[in-house]
Amino acid sequence: MRMTRDLLTRLEGEVELKVFWSDGRIKDAYVVVPTYRGFENILKGRPILDALVITPRVCGICGHAHLRATVEAIEDAYRRAGRRVGITRKAEILRDVTTSLEIVQNHIRWFYLYFMPELVKLKPELKERFGPFTGSRWKEGIEASNYATKAIALIAGQWPHNSYMVPGGVTCDPMEADIRKVEALVNRVISFFEEKVVGMDWRSYLKLRGSNLLSKVIGDLGTFAEVCLENGLDIAGRSYGRFLTGGSIHPCISSGVKSKRTCEFNLSKVSELDTHSFLSRNGKGYSWSKTARYRGLPFETGPLARQIISKNPRITSLYRKFKDSVLVRVWARVDEILILSLAILEKLRRVDLSEESWVDPGVDPKKFSGKGVGVVEAARGTLIHKVRVERGRIAYYDIITPTVWNLGPRDDRYLGVVEKAMIGLTSRKIAHIVLRSFDVCSVCTSH
Amino acid sequence: MEKLNLLWIQGLTCGGNTQSLLCAEETLLNTFLKKVNLLVHPGLSLDEDLEKTVEAVLKGDVRLDILAVEGAVRERGKGLYTVLDMRFDEVLRKLCGVANYVIAVGNCAAYGNIPALKEGSVKGLQFRFTERGGFLGDGFRSKSGLPVINLTGCPVHPEWFISTVLQIASGRPPKLDSLGRPKEFYTYFTHDGCLRNQYYEWRVEAEVLGRKEGCLFYRFGCRGPMTRSSCNRILWNGVSSKTRSGQPCFGCTEFDFPRENIWETKYNMGIPAELPPGVSLRGYIMMSGVAKTFTPDRLRRRLLDEDD
Repeated sequence: MRMTRDLLTRLEGEVELKVFWSDGRIKDAYVVVPTYRGFENILKGRPILDALVITPRVCGICGHAHLRATVEAIEDAYRRAGRRVGITRKAEILRDVTTSLEIVQNHIRWFYLYFMPELVKLKPELKERFGPFTGSRWKEGIEASNYATKAIALIAGQWPHNSYMVPGGVTCDPMEADIRKVEALVNRVISFFEEKVVGMDWRSYLKLRGSNLLSKVIGDLGTFAEVCLENGLDIAGRSYGRFLTGGSIHPCISSGVKSKRTCEFNLSKVSELDTHSFLSRNGKGYSWSKTARYRGLPFETGPLARQIISKNPRITSLYRKFKDSVLVRVWARVDEILILSLAILEKLRRVDLSEESWVDPGVDPKKFSGKGVGVVEAARGTLIHKVRVERGRIAYYDIITPTVWNLGPRDDRYLGVVEKAMIGLTSRKIAHIVLRSFDVCSVCTSH
Repeated sequence: MEKLNLLWIQGLTCGGNTQSLLCAEETLLNTFLKKVNLLVHPGLSLDEDLEKTVEAVLKGDVRLDILAVEGAVRERGKGLYTVLDMRFDEVLRKLCGVANYVIAVGNCAAYGNIPALKEGSVKGLQFRFTERGGFLGDGFRSKSGLPVINLTGCPVHPEWFISTVLQIASGRPPKLDSLGRPKEFYTYFTHDGCLRNQYYEWRVEAEVLGRKEGCLFYRFGCRGPMTRSSCNRILWNGVSSKTRSGQPCFGCTEFDFPRENIWETKYNMGIPAELPPGVSLRGYIMMSGVAKTFTPDRLRRRLLDEDD
């Protein structure tokens, strides 16, 4: 059997794709995360609040989600130990706003810097628009993503890598003028979405369903759909068709698990294995990632999972016809740019800056013992942090990133989610695009 | 003038310096892309360009003016990718040998930082935290004769990086401090330009988080007065900084980042265990006595409630 091995870059980190071919089709595929830092071990023994500064450094593009997961895990531990952790509505809104903005920023950068340049390989005339460094949209995409990063900084001080969420609330104390500026920036994201991404006003876009989405949406998303239909990407990319969303962001993302039907997400059904990870040292390992399972089964997480579970009418109508193909997976991600932006504006209208930003949880972190879990939605899907603290120090820390769900290796019975999506593909180019459609972040995957 | 060739390579990193670079102000980023020939950036270029470019540079077909390294290096170990079937650390050593200038972009490349905390074989380019030497050795000089230019910070501010590259491009490489950092960006302290300076001077400490008022040095571990950075001079994302949003400075441009007990100020007999550089114990006690006695009343009120 022929084997090919590709090092993929232009993502967060790098992955190797090892593929076995038979009769021109992919027979088996291994997604290898070659790089490892060891955050869980690094955190062990440190004072609990140090995690607020360390975990964001797991990832340069979704560090804010890691911060939030840490904060929620610590707050959960405080609550389980009987402490009242009162978060004001203001702090809750600000947390939601910056978390959502990070997702918006990610989706824009991912689409224009990481994903669309790959399609140039299928359609060279797209180079002028989407080629790295020189393409017109490449630059405009960076600019648009920075409306979001600047908006985060107005609230959280900087992006990437701030630690403005703390147990009990947030550290910032913004003025009305800051909030108005954030609104203005989010409005620019929405204008960008209208003018460049879908080529129509957002209200009209939101009304579209099914085949109308394909025929009416122009702009860059329209171009993307065209390339998909020309190259079979409306079929390629299908995996197990099982979806998981552990966290929620009102009103665009609700948690749930969907295989045949949709059920509530139950944390106790999540398990983590290392049977095929280098970490187990059993000789079967081929990646530094662990494997995440729900009820023992592989599940896909991320925008597609979220929007199907949250019954987004545009994505469910596309899913009915095209299933979990590249077309729908990418569409779900791009759709979130708009719906999260609209939700941010709605939340900012309700924020009352006269409320306190922080309410002291009244815990002496040096003496505290307990355990807690934080489950949040990051750009790439469900992110879980678990912590156990003994007399103020971290005794155990576990991180299950979204990309562990999607890019993690197989177990003894099932292929990983991305590996499954590779089977049967007939070209290397398409295989790369399918892999990329999951929004690959290897630094999170192995952490 | 001929464009400078720049090659960016990533070791053990979160990619945060790349994301930070993309946050650069538009004019600056465009100037950077115009003045510099970005041979390859693994986070931005097409996949195949990495190995192609490294091969061409190592063969001597392409001149390497600036090598920008993001991330720490693990020596001789597993847990890093390979380029052209060579271990990352082998490739990196070769590239450093042919580069005119080597820039460590961010604290991982400069000092090892978080990935080095528990692994002795993980290092920065010329340092491992406070220890000199690092991956390349203390004596390393790039072809230009300079040691590694350390652009520290977790992440580095995009303007510090781009300006340094533009200085090199204009034939005026930066003057470095004893830790290899360009003086222009690491002479000031984070404290300089902090909006809470008056509270520091009059010794009004922040007793709670989440407020504009009060200095974070006295209780919440702020490293602003002893951390070299331009964070409050060249604002983040053009608009703010940690201290402006109520976070203490964590000292992420220094070689001892991340310290233990980040959110807390240590005291010895009522005096902060560590005083800003050059401040004597006696001076501190006298000054704070005076400051506390004469603190203006308005500094004890909420800013927006103040009427005069």
